[in-house]
Order: sequence, then C-alpha cells, then structure tokens
Amino acid sequence: MFDKSEMDQVLLATGGYDHTIKLWHTHSGICYRTMQHAESQVNALEITPDKQLLAAASYQHIYMYDLNSNNPNAIVNYDGTTKNVTDVGFQVDGRWMYSGGEDCRVRLWDLKSKGTQCPKIFEVQAPVTCVCLHPNQVELFVGDQSGIIHRWDLKTDHNEQLIPESDAMILDIAIDPLGTYMAAVNNKGRCYIWSLKSGKIDEPTKMNPRHKFDAHKRHALKCEFSPDSRYLVTTSADQTAKIWNTSDFSLRQELKQENQRWVWDAAFSSDSQYVFTASSDGCAKIWNIDTGSMEKEYAGHQKAVTALAFRDCAV
Amino acid sequence: MALYDNKYWLLSHIRNSFISTDDTGMCELIMAGEEGCRKHLKQSLDLYPDDEDSEDDDLSHESYDLQLDMDFGLRYRSNTAVRLEKLEQVKKKTSRMKHVKWEMNKTPLSQEQLDEMFVKKELKPKVNEEKESLFSKTFKQYRMMPTNPFIEYSKFDGSGQVNVPTKKYRIFLTMLPEHQRNYPLQVCCIGTAKIHDLIGLILLKCSTVYEDYLWKPVVNYGLYITEEDGEVDRDFPCLDSRENIAKFGFTCLGLVEHSDPTKCVSFGNSETVTIRKGFDDDINEKTKELSKVDQEKQISSDLHLMDVHKKAMEAPLYKSYKVYMVNKMRTKVEIHLGISGEKIEIDPVQKNSKFVLVKQKPMNHDMDMIAWCETVDIKSNRTIFRIIYSQSFGTTNIQDNVSSFTPTLQTSTSFKSYDFEADHATAEEIVNKISLILELRSSDTRKEYLAAQERRYYKKKAFI
Repeated sequence: MFDKSEMDQVLLATGGYDHTIKLWHTHSGICYRTMQHAESQVNALEITPDKQLLAAASYQHIYMYDLNSNNPNAIVNYDGTTKNVTDVGFQVDGRWMYSGGEDCRVRLWDLKSKGTQCPKIFEVQAPVTCVCLHPNQVELFVGDQSGIIHRWDLKTDHNEQLIPESDAMILDIAIDPLGTYMAAVNNKGRCYIWSLKSGKIDEPTKMNPRHKFDAHKRHALKCEFSPDSRYLVTTSADQTAKIWNTSDFSLRQELKQENQRWVWDAAFSSDSQYVFTASSDGCAKIWNIDTGSMEKEYAGHQKAVTALAFRDCAV
Repeated sequence: MALYDNKYWLLSHIRNSFISTDDTGMCELIMAGEEGCRKHLKQSLDLYPDDEDSEDDDLSHESYDLQLDMDFGLRYRSNTAVRLEKLEQVKKKTSRMKHVKWEMNKTPLSQEQLDEMFVKKELKPKVNEEKESLFSKTFKQYRMMPTNPFIEYSKFDGSGQVNVPTKKYRIFLTMLPEHQRNYPLQVCCIGTAKIHDLIGLILLKCSTVYEDYLWKPVVNYGLYITEEDGEVDRDFPCLDSRENIAKFGFTCLGLVEHSDPTKCVSFGNSETVTIRKGFDDDINEKTKELSKVDQEKQISSDLHLMDVHKKAMEAPLYKSYKVYMVNKMRTKVEIHLGISGEKIEIDPVQKNSKFVLVKQKPMNHDMDMIAWCETVDIKSNRTIFRIIYSQSFGTTNIQDNVSSFTPTLQTSTSFKSYDFEADHATAEEIVNKISLILELRSSDTRKEYLAAQERRYYKKKAFI
C-alpha cells in the first residue's frame, strides 16, 4: 500500500469538449474529482510547478483551479484575451505564466509580484497555435497558423522567424529538456527537427535544420520530448500516436487502438517509460513505451478529451 | 392608500370579483348593461376627496375581460426570471473567483526588473541514471491488482457535468455494518442512464469508499424506495433495472443485496457480511471459484426467469394454429384457430367444400366470453382440448351494460364448449396461452365459470 500523500504527488488531469476537468488516480483508473469548466471547451491544461494549481486554457479566459481542495469551480480567472487561448505554460519556478491565443498574441502573466504587474506581450500576424518555453527559461518559441515559428527573446524582446513549409499551419512545438533539439509538427502530418545551440549569456539560441519526415498521414496535433530526451511522441488526427527515437528519428512504437479517433495530447512519465494520450473517444490512456501496448484506460468523460496535464515525481 | 375606504374602488372590486369568478358569464352580461346605473351611482355617492387624481375609481377604465388561468395563484416563471437567476448564480460564482484583467503597464520595465524576471537557466546534461518515477513504481505494483469490475459504469457519473441533465441521489447502503450506514452515499448520475447503470455507478463508488466489503455483480442488487431516515420501504418491489432513471422521481433510495437474484423482491433474512481479510492468493482464488459457480447458477436461473417472462409477455400476441375441430357428431374439420389477447377466431380451412358433409361457419369470440380452456383427453398421437365459453356474456356485455354487473342473475348462463384436436405440443401451447390470457384478464365469465364449478363440486359433495 502507498501513502496517500505520496499518491497526491502524481497528478493527471484531463479536459475536453464535455466542459469538465477530471483528476485521476493514475494507478487505479478511478476519477476522484470532477471540476466544472462551464463556459467553454478545454484547449490546454497545465499544472503549476509547485503542483498547487491547474491552469485551463479556454475561450477568452485562462481559469486556475485549486488542486488541493474540493472546490469544483475555478479560483482565478485570467481575463483579457479576445478569442480562444490555445496554449498555456509556466516558468520553471512558477514566476510567470505564458499563454498564446487566436487573437494573435502571446502574453506573459506575472504570478508572483503583487501590485506591480509586469506583463509582456508579443504580437504576430496569425492566430497563435502553440507556445513553447525553451528550458533556459528566457526564450519562447511561438507557432502560428500561417506556418511561422517565432523565437521571442524575453529579455531583449528580439525576435526571429523560421518558415519550415509554406501553406501549412504549425500545430505544436517542443524542445527537449537538454535544449538540444526542437521539433515542430504541422497540419500536413510532417515533423521538422532542428538542433539547437545555446548562446553564451545573452546570445540567442541558434537553430540548424536537422531532419524532416512525414510522421502522420493527417494533421499532427502534438509533439513532446521525453524527459530523458531519448524519445519524441507525436499525436495525430490519423488516430495514432507515434514514438520516435531521437537518435535517428526512426519509429519506435505506433500507439494505435481501434476507434480511438483523434489523439490530441500526450505526456511522458518522468522516467520516460510510459506515455499518456488523450483522444476523442473520451478516454485518456497509458501506454508502455517498451511494448507499445495500452495498459490502462481512464474513462469517464462524456465527449472528446482534448487536453491533459501530468506531473510525476522522481523517487 | 385610498383603497378600502373608497366606495368606487370597493364597488369596482366587487363587480370584478363577481365577473371573474362566474364561469357562466351571466354576471358580465348583466353588469355590462348597467353602465348608466353606475354613472348615476357615481354621482349620487359622496365623492372621495382625492378621487380626481385617483385612477382607481375611474369606472370606465376597468376591464372585465380578465384572463384568469386555471392554475391561478401559481404563476410560471418567465424566461427572464430564469435567465436572471442564472446570471445571479454566475455572479455569485465569480465573486468567489479572483479576477486578473490583462493590463499593459505604461512604464517599460527597468533592466533590474527584467533581470529579476528572466533568469537564464544553465542546462547541464543530466547524469544518466536509471531512476524510476513514482508513477511507474506505483503503476507497476498496482498492475497486479484486478481492475475494478465496475469501472465501466464510470461514464454514468454525472458529478460536475455541465449541459448534461443529471440526477442526484442519496443512497442508503443496507448491506454495510450498522455503524457505517448512518449516512447515505451521494451519487450524481447522468439522466440517460438506466437503473442498472445507476446500480453499477453506486457500486463503483462503494468499492472505492468501502474497500473492505466484497461487492457482488450488479444483478445481485436492487434499488428500493427509501424514507429520508434510511428505512427501506419493503412493500414495493425494487425499481426495474431495465428502466431509465428518469422514469422514477425518487431521490432517496436504498441499495439492497438480494439473497436470490432471480426474484425481484427478496430480502435476505440474515445479511451476511463478508470481509476480505487481505490479498491472500488462496482466499482470492477461492472467492473467484465460488463466484464462478454463483455466476453460472445465476445465469441459468436468469434464463429460466426470462423464459417464463417471455411466455407471459407473448401470450396476448396474436398467433394462429392449424387444428381440428371435433364436432358433436365426432367429425373433424380442419380449422385455423387464431388466438390473441382480445379474441379467439375459428376459421375453417377452405377446401373443396362440395364434398364435405359438415360445414363449419367461421366464428369469432371475444376473449371476455371465454371462461376456461383445458386438456380433455390425451391420446397416443394427439391431444383433445376444450374451450368453454358463454354465449350470453359477450353479447350482454356489449348490448346491455347493466346486466354485466349482476352476475348473480346469470347463474343460469349456459356454458358451451368447443372441442379441438391437435398434436401434443400444439395443444399444450394453446392451452397455456389461453390460460395465461384468461388469468391476465380475469373476466366475469371466467369468475362465474369458476364459481359454478365450485357450486357443482359442493353439490356433488353434499349429494354423496
């Protein structure tokens, strides 16, 4: 038997089109809490580094839920985006939060300082689809619907652009925890890889195209590097998720199940042995990377599950 | 307030009351012609000092055409009221929420602030150590555990659902030990679920809350109407597990473990509580074997029950049989015997009728005329069965309603009968079918026939 407080350290949250957010006991597959997200679907979920709060990106708002209470309603509402908020994330110490939205803006929200707000904003020409924070915590990579990847230097506000492919939307960007690779996927199912070279102190990160491959037949929706940087997972509208070896970007596993429909989101366990996926069949699933088999289903949502957030901890 | 001491107002009020409460409309007719009278009255009555600026006594303005609804006193809430209430709720909810509005600050950040906000993190390659995460560790250990058998019912959980109709229940768990069943279990179920699904959902919750108790499959439990204090009402059968939960309005229910799952109403005399002692493999295996045997038993008894149910359900459905009708002269005519819940039809099979000596006319008997059906004689290859009917009943019932309520006068009703012949299986089926229908209808004819039989029996007894 495990200590309950220890179990609380492993958090899995899912949300989607049924206007609810569910928290799960990962080992038993039982949903222990359902929170209301009445106003819109859930576009993205993220748990704060201190595991106290859960942020849900929705239409015009980012809602923050208390993970340590039984309050079914949000406790903080971040207001001011005019359209869908598509992505949300946190600085590693929880100093600030970043968000991207369909109103073509990327925003930084100050979480710590009282009174003296110091928000930052970055505008692009097309609706923002994804925002990725470089592990060095000072550069944001922003993908938009026109297919441009923007590197935004938070300290200097300098930015530069990359256009891997014209006429394709960038749908997600990921950078591995060591800051050596960047991956981007688009709506044609293609995956682009750059190798990153960190600059000294205030110098920008340099990106060199390294590889490109057709990961999926249809929209690729999400990409994510494993914590040990050995794998990349991509999810897609072709009803699969795929695990790639980062050494040569060869296919390691195809995570497929009959009728699971679109696979929207994915997250690795912190030891890179398992991967969670969220799909339109209303389920979150856990897959063993070694065997490629699905080991458990987290069923309970009434509609498609489009976002998940997972926090693990090392023993 | 110049109301209750204002004569005009009072007069008007009385008139309105008369008109509005008179369903015949006579009052309005009479009073409408009194216009002149009233004007005269107004002049003759002492004017109230401030009646000039008071609208109440302006008699010409009053409307008799009051539209009173049947349900007066009970006004439905308008859409606006509902919407306002919703807004109010949202407001209440949001008042408990902290709001952070996006605002651009006017003064740009100083270099110091920037340096403090955005600290570049040096990325060092991690030492390659094979550490297992907490999740993997627990997950691997729990993988040996059997999955919760009720997990499939989790999709009926309605808690926290928005835009989906849900129903909240308080469930009393009668099988728990005394000290644990003081408080009901709160369960919220989505509106489209069936009672069976609700039981599954309750068991899913129970199995997580009361881990020690050994929960049986869903078919072993029934939901009963229960008092607020948790007392199960044992006079009513359990809610039909195949029905939608929306059909029942009760919010307080009791979950009862059936001692015999084939019966709808069966309370165990002694509630046995099995406590799982641990995860001893031995015990586990035993319970598994036991439950397998139990399940098989259960399945066979379920099947039997279903068969009985099916026959009873199908009895009133129309079915036609090919049998022989045995006449008084012991001649046989092939006929079609059509039986439904409403009537019995006798149709001769069309043959080259020129050569047939005895002709059978097609007959129709209302089921209310039929009194009895029984097997008379079983021969080696066929069975003779008899349908007893009363000629008078069917006709009197239709033509003269009064007589049907006075069965005592009809003791002289002569019962007639038809004899038929068919193979054993068909005969048995027909007799069963008609008996079931008759039992279901329990018509006066049948009652009377039974009474007559009884009388005859006693007479015989007395005679002997």
